[in-house]
Amino acid sequence: MTSAFGRTLLVAGREIRAERRAPDGLVAAVTFTAVLVLLESLVVGPGTVRAPQIAAALFWIALLFAAILAAARSFDRELEEDAIDAVIALEGGRDALYGGKALALVGLLGLVAAVGLLLSIALLDLSVALAGHLALVVVLGVVALPPIVVLDVALTLRLRARAMLVPILALPMLVPQLVAATQGSAAAMTGDATGALGWSGLLLAFALVYAVLGLTIVPAAIE
Amino acid sequence: MTTTTFSPIFTVRLRPWLGIASLAAAIVATYMALIWAPPDVTQGDVQRIMYVHVPTAWLAYLAFVVVFLASIGWLWSKKVWFDAVAVASAEIGVLFTGMTLVLGSIWAKPTWGVWWTWEPRLVTTAVMFCMYVGYLLLRSLSSDFERRATRAAVIGVVAVVNVPIVHLSVTWMNSLHQLPTVLRAGGEPTLDGRMLATLLVGVFAFTVIYAYLLAARVEIELDRRRRQEA
Repeated sequence: MTSAFGRTLLVAGREIRAERRAPDGLVAAVTFTAVLVLLESLVVGPGTVRAPQIAAALFWIALLFAAILAAARSFDRELEEDAIDAVIALEGGRDALYGGKALALVGLLGLVAAVGLLLSIALLDLSVALAGHLALVVVLGVVALPPIVVLDVALTLRLRARAMLVPILALPMLVPQLVAATQGSAAAMTGDATGALGWSGLLLAFALVYAVLGLTIVPAAIE
Repeated sequence: MTTTTFSPIFTVRLRPWLGIASLAAAIVATYMALIWAPPDVTQGDVQRIMYVHVPTAWLAYLAFVVVFLASIGWLWSKKVWFDAVAVASAEIGVLFTGMTLVLGSIWAKPTWGVWWTWEPRLVTTAVMFCMYVGYLLLRSLSSDFERRATRAAVIGVVAVVNVPIVHLSVTWMNSLHQLPTVLRAGGEPTLDGRMLATLLVGVFAFTVIYAYLLAARVEIELDRRRRQEA
């Protein structure tokens, strides 16, 4: 008998294998983030985009949309092959599906964030005063986004207007995470270690609260 | 399997009384706000908009907390009554949040010199408004009753996080908006006695109006559900 955590890992592993075989979700998310980084200096101006608050805000908004793209693609793949029905039919399948998808999205988003961060630092010539603190904020930010993104994509499953609904639902819900991630990143870039650690703690709290909340109520809504 | 059985006391028997109470409370609150309460020393009569602005904001909080409780009720029991209360309260909450934003804007123009400014209380209130518009949109785009109610209930539970964020945003971040004067951590309300009394009567009047609108809307929702079942 597989435990709940074991089932979640199975779904996450299956997700990562599917992404390795056909990395369309990852490619779309990375390309989207890269395009946004390139456009930032054009739209905002090269001087302005180097301001820590602006650079951090644009980075996290890009990452959020990348997360929505990747999560939507992941559920689309399930629907195309009717695999979701088989997973749901299993005992604890809904919980494993939500947890596994969120866990896999953390991994995928970690890659996208790494690429986006390197591109931002290199192309926008950003200066980072506290690299370790910035890495911590990015890791915790990457963990804090998926519980809500997967929740919204799962709730709008099989709805024709999903592409429209997911950003409308996800963006307002993720405002606290976006504010914390942006302020934390900006603090790390300007050398404010206390600020960066404080915002990191908040991101960790958001990640835990929404993961528990998601695991408690979202599975009931997955069809 | 869902059921439409519910207690008719709240929606049928109480509703006419709530209507009468709403009208009486609204008349008293209007008199107190426009005539009885003194004008503000610095803002003059413009400040009187507070007697509507604050109650609508309070009502928005209350409405969304009711959505949260009704959503838990639906997820727990699958009783249609809970879903009807959730949708009714969400619609009223969106209406009152919209009113709060508009009234705030009308007050801000002569006081701050702008209709809108990017400050935490305004932005978080607008975000809360958008979130519950999304909630109603999700409901309107789902056709199957039980799926719609479950999906909406999940959003109703998660979205309530916005209520404390909006209320505490003025203390967490640097804000132009006035700090809490009634429900504040520091002690007693910092408001003139007659102004405070007028504000409390306004809050009471709007709460009764909310209860009346909720009862009417729940009745409509339950009727709709009965017709669908028939």
